[in-house]
Amino acid sequence: MSSWLDYTINGLIVGNVYALVAVGLALIFGVSRLINFAQGSIYLVGAYIGWVAVVQLHTPLPLTIIVVAVVAAVVGLIIERFGLRPLQNSVRIAPLLATIGISFVLDQLVMLTFSPNPRALPSQLPDVRFQVGGGTIGPLDLLIAGVGISSALLLFVFLRYTKLGWAVRAASQDRDAAMQMGVDVNRVNQTVFGIAAALGGVSGLLVGMYYNQIDTAMSLQATLKGVVAEVVGGAGNVPGAVIGSMLLGLVESYGVAVFGTSYRNLFAFLLLVVVLVLRPNGLFASARQAPPEPLTGTFIAPSRPVRIPRWALAVAIVALAILPLLPVSFYILQTLINAWLLGMLALSLTLVAGTIGQVSLGHAALLAIGAYTSALLSLTLNVPVGLAIMAGGLMSAALGTILISPSFRLRGHYVSIATLAIGEIVSLVILNWESVTRGPIGISGIPPLSLFGYDLISPASVYWFAFAVMVVLALLQARLLGSHLGRCFRAIRDDDIAARAYGLSLNRYKSLAFIFGGFAAGVSGGIAAHLYSYINHETFNTQQSILALTVVILGGLGNVVGAILGAVALVGLPEVFRIAAEYRILIYGIVLLLLVRFRPQGLLGTI
Amino acid sequence: MTTGAPEPLLALTDVNTFYGQAQVHFDLSITVGRGHIVCLLGGNASGKSTTMKIILGLVKPRSGEVTFDGASLISLTTPQIVRRGIASVPEARRLFADMSVRENILMGAFVRSDRDAVAQDLDKMLTLFPKLGQRLSQRAGSLSGGEQQMVAMARALMSRPRLIVMDEPTMGLSPLYVDRVLELIRTINQDGVSIFMVEQNASLALEIAHEAYVLQTGKIVLSGPARTLKDDPRVRDAYLGGSEAA
Repeated sequence: MSSWLDYTINGLIVGNVYALVAVGLALIFGVSRLINFAQGSIYLVGAYIGWVAVVQLHTPLPLTIIVVAVVAAVVGLIIERFGLRPLQNSVRIAPLLATIGISFVLDQLVMLTFSPNPRALPSQLPDVRFQVGGGTIGPLDLLIAGVGISSALLLFVFLRYTKLGWAVRAASQDRDAAMQMGVDVNRVNQTVFGIAAALGGVSGLLVGMYYNQIDTAMSLQATLKGVVAEVVGGAGNVPGAVIGSMLLGLVESYGVAVFGTSYRNLFAFLLLVVVLVLRPNGLFASARQAPPEPLTGTFIAPSRPVRIPRWALAVAIVALAILPLLPVSFYILQTLINAWLLGMLALSLTLVAGTIGQVSLGHAALLAIGAYTSALLSLTLNVPVGLAIMAGGLMSAALGTILISPSFRLRGHYVSIATLAIGEIVSLVILNWESVTRGPIGISGIPPLSLFGYDLISPASVYWFAFAVMVVLALLQARLLGSHLGRCFRAIRDDDIAARAYGLSLNRYKSLAFIFGGFAAGVSGGIAAHLYSYINHETFNTQQSILALTVVILGGLGNVVGAILGAVALVGLPEVFRIAAEYRILIYGIVLLLLVRFRPQGLLGTI
Repeated sequence: MTTGAPEPLLALTDVNTFYGQAQVHFDLSITVGRGHIVCLLGGNASGKSTTMKIILGLVKPRSGEVTFDGASLISLTTPQIVRRGIASVPEARRLFADMSVRENILMGAFVRSDRDAVAQDLDKMLTLFPKLGQRLSQRAGSLSGGEQQMVAMARALMSRPRLIVMDEPTMGLSPLYVDRVLELIRTINQDGVSIFMVEQNASLALEIAHEAYVLQTGKIVLSGPARTLKDDPRVRDAYLGGSEAA
């Protein structure tokens, strides 16, 4: 590829692919006010069904497309019926979390069925290229454009001229009023999920053919790109999603043209953050259509927390502190060290998501900032490790808060999207800022943990160090929750407008929460870096952010003891039951789904 | 059921409704006779709007019975209830703001499949609400409050209902439109459609209603023919400001 025309063509083709994903997201958001994080998983399923059809069944292309669309639609219907419909009267965060859980389960099922290794998905079209002006275009480009445009037209006709299409539009504008006209909203939801899934599946097939390669990492990428395109166009706005997709495709393509391939995603997420900051309703929504999400007070499940007597906590702390003195295996200590590290991250997230109500999906970025700061300080400037970890915590607190601050004016789902994007941006900056972070090579030879000149090599000493740090952070956080500040945080979570009316500065309190939470997460990342001795841009990924969220929900949002208990449970139980690594993510997904369905307030209750 | 009243079209019997711990209705019983206009009066938070939601199946009572034309509505969903012949004019109109006026009116006929008759009914609506004729292709959200009320009423009529439930149909309208709306309710009723309306504006409602109920913190405290209630000193004191003001 050389000419600008080529980059433009490429951008538009990729834009068509994104549009197939984003339109489905927009339809679903319109009807259910839900960002479907499982959309990328359906796209993944579409790609693999396509692989089975093409490589094993040798179906002709039109049949391949039909098979993929039908199977994907069935998957979408199953998700709607069994994953989401039971949550209809649940708290607002429940369906969002359920789609995250569903996506974990689907991705892992695909991975277990087809192995994580990439597969080739051959294009069923002749490999020729036509000259168009100064660029070239191939039959597959034309197919993608054709599928994209005809899907958009069909959707337009469906929404404008069919009875069910009218029902979809009416339900997306006023669900209750639509029901009073006799619209069966469940049927509308089914329709929308079916359409969204069929389009998403076909999109996965086309992308697989375009790059002649499919692998399970496609799923999260597709969800992210679809969400970016949808939000850029205005959440719930179907034509907006199409235009947002094209814009995203072009921005990425031109970004790649100027800076190189590794910058593709960075441009996508920067576009998202810019749009969220400047026009959170999307580029094509008029100001009138700015319905603030009615999330206030109902976003997390209210409950009465389980009271744990102080003496019991004291006994637990002492028992865990003397554990290494007992004849326990190295393996148990190792597992618990991991639990304490995850516990620190969970403390951070439970404060941010539970106490002040900002459900962050990019928390792993705070780990990464802490880890890189601490590793680089100790490696290049020979800063003592203890100090370097402290500095990592402070850097996470400062940088994390600054990075998150553009999302302070957002609410509900938008906060989750923004934090997800900011998390991706951090990881992409680490990947591309080679002079400082050593880019894709990562940092190796990080010195081991040490304190006051003594290296902490033995498992017991590492255990004590991690445990002590976590207990101190937990006590501080418990103290904070009981204070005036903690009350202000909860006031903002429960009703930010009322809180503001009483003179609370939202930005200040959100900053304070992220500073405190950022510190805890940064320290956790710092300790992890010295423990692992090697880190790279993928060490702290979105999967960890979601794992932390599962931990926090398991324990009860906002609940300090719950966060630690959740971490021990999610790290420990798979070890106890000796569950193979590849099944763990599947288990986490199922745990998340079951929790959301049956105990949204978590084990110990929300605070 | 008072003597001489026809067999009721709609009957709520001993309905108790709860929102969580809070009880909204206490043994609520209301009947709407065939061809009647019945209005439910009450102040804020008396449970008026919840009564509408109970009839439409948007909220389900904890105990009690709701029957329409002799058949129970308790286990039916809202769309099923609409198909039985109950239409609604919701509080604050609740039009589909981004759909055109024509689409809004036709959405009212969603439960019908007789296309030709629906088209005829649309023409009928335009004679009943002549102003809407010029507005058909306009976005419904761009209309004035009074015009939106006309659309909401036309939309309700399009399902050829036997009963229309209306939640504060005169709320937020200019005096001119208030009179117009009341006139229309009377006209609709004369065509054989029963009306159950919830109102705060007691003097206006009693003007056109056959029967009325007064709801206070979830209990019916007064009921009877509208003519009697209008002169009842308790109603006058509570709602009519002591003197005739209509």
